[in-house]
Amino acid sequence: MFNSISNNFGAPQIQFKDYQAPNYVVLNAKVTFDPTNAAYQACDQLVITVPDLTIDRSTIGGVFVRFIETQSYSWGDAIYDGGTVLKSWIKDKNTIVVEKQPWFDQNGPLTLYFVTMYAQLNQGANAIKGTKQRLTVTTEGNYLRFSSDTFVVVFDHWVFMHLQFSSCSYAQRDLPWEATFEQMPANVTADVPVPGGGNQFHQNCFGMGECHIENKIFTMDRRVMGFWDTGREPFAFAFLVREGEEPSPEPVEE
Amino acid sequence: MIALPSIAFGGFSGSAKGVTARQVGGRSVLSLKCFPTGAATGAQLARRASLKKISKSWKALSSEQMREWDRLAEHASGASSLGQKAEISGLNLFIRLNSYRVMAGESMMADAPAAEVAVPNVSYSQVVVTPELVVFGGIKHESAPLKFVVKMSVSQSAGVSNGWSKTVIITPGMEDDWGEADVTRLYLKTIGVEPVPGEKVFIETYWLDTATGFTGLECRDTVVVTGESPYQRRVKATMDNLDPTEESHVSSLDVDFSTGSPVALFSAQCLGHSNVASSEVYLDQQLPAEVVGTGMAIGRSNDDDGHINAQSYLVYMYNRNGKSQLTFAHRGGPYYTKTEVFGTGIIY
Repeated sequence: MFNSISNNFGAPQIQFKDYQAPNYVVLNAKVTFDPTNAAYQACDQLVITVPDLTIDRSTIGGVFVRFIETQSYSWGDAIYDGGTVLKSWIKDKNTIVVEKQPWFDQNGPLTLYFVTMYAQLNQGANAIKGTKQRLTVTTEGNYLRFSSDTFVVVFDHWVFMHLQFSSCSYAQRDLPWEATFEQMPANVTADVPVPGGGNQFHQNCFGMGECHIENKIFTMDRRVMGFWDTGREPFAFAFLVREGEEPSPEPVEE
Repeated sequence: MIALPSIAFGGFSGSAKGVTARQVGGRSVLSLKCFPTGAATGAQLARRASLKKISKSWKALSSEQMREWDRLAEHASGASSLGQKAEISGLNLFIRLNSYRVMAGESMMADAPAAEVAVPNVSYSQVVVTPELVVFGGIKHESAPLKFVVKMSVSQSAGVSNGWSKTVIITPGMEDDWGEADVTRLYLKTIGVEPVPGEKVFIETYWLDTATGFTGLECRDTVVVTGESPYQRRVKATMDNLDPTEESHVSSLDVDFSTGSPVALFSAQCLGHSNVASSEVYLDQQLPAEVVGTGMAIGRSNDDDGHINAQSYLVYMYNRNGKSQLTFAHRGGPYYTKTEVFGTGIIY
């Protein structure tokens, strides 16, 4: 865990959860900023200065950006949150860069989610294949279901997770969700963006929600109106840092 | 002036019978008139034309701009000769820096840089030259605006000890690719013939600051051409590796497996095809078995209708009949055929 030293887009100090290997870095952080601030308006790229990282540059990784939008009607509130993924890279040992796009400048405040792996190239060895484990999701009455492309790849210090939502019992569609992710290590705690889902007011980016993972429990309370719209395929794509020294269970390949 | 007593006396200038005496920075320099040994190449002609154009543009500068170049020249130094540090005029500095910039594809600069720029020297761990491969490895990376300039000679008898006059520019400025500069194609294009095993190639390299035109010191090296080399190229797939007999559905591709970590870099501009939510890529060679498998990468729509939504993609990688196929198969998020897949993705 470390804190950012400064940034050029008017965000508060950012606390990063990290795993740093000699040739790659996994970072998790969530930070919200106001895009109307002068610093953001003046910058060309979002630059975060940090204490020494183990690597002095990286190839591209993905950082998600999300805005919140609620519209009130006579029958209640409707959620039209949206966002997308931005390119990010480590420029040098002390600098993380995120591309700046003007797409959501009118929709602030904006939240950045670092669920990101920064890797280096030409490391003298090929990529190392991990072991995919299909996530077993348990809910009361099996009300929430995910596709077969919902899985984790677990390592000693971090986890890759891909979720792809499939269906939900009608009675549960508007209620908070809670599920157990059997193969998720208990020492992962993170807020994870959930892109996808329809969004009639933002049809360029569509929806983006947020779920929370803690002690193998998945929760998600806030979802866009069109979450289950056909062809909008809500999903999550995240590299998540494990805390502490809990050993990895022996992976069982599906 | 028919004869000069000695360069030690100095103070003479003029030409006679192919010998030129001139005063440079207070020094007497004698030189023989040089004649090209062969017909000028297209590149030489272009460079001479460029120098002529740069020289002429000096006259278009304002007095103030010329003064600034003179001021900079007072602090910059020309090539050292006979132990004396040569002085350089504002005009010559203007020509030198701009010719480097133009060589690197930059525009001419009218205003002198604020100050001389210290450019680092080249450092690399190996250079391999075989008939099929010309590559520098272990280059200490320098960030833009620095670019790597390589001059090399045609391979010559191993007994030749001084072939520096035979070097020509192989690349006028490239960025190292994660510490590697594979100039095989550029070498063959420029030199025209493959290096011959057992012969020697003369190499000069330096960093060029493309923002100002200043360069680092020229690093000289020689290498004997070998028939084969244990040098292993990185495992990656780019547009250069596409199988020309198959239709691939990407307009750019850079999949790189050289991470030494549990991810690969997946970078592709997917175009989609045939109303299926995927883009196929056919490579002209097999991928090593250790990287064949499945990847998962993130993507972002970038179609003409302005979609910018996030997507996830499975990347199926497999070998068949001595070739490879990569399939970028859409999974999460709304699908649009034009999507840029980018970034690190897990492989399993």
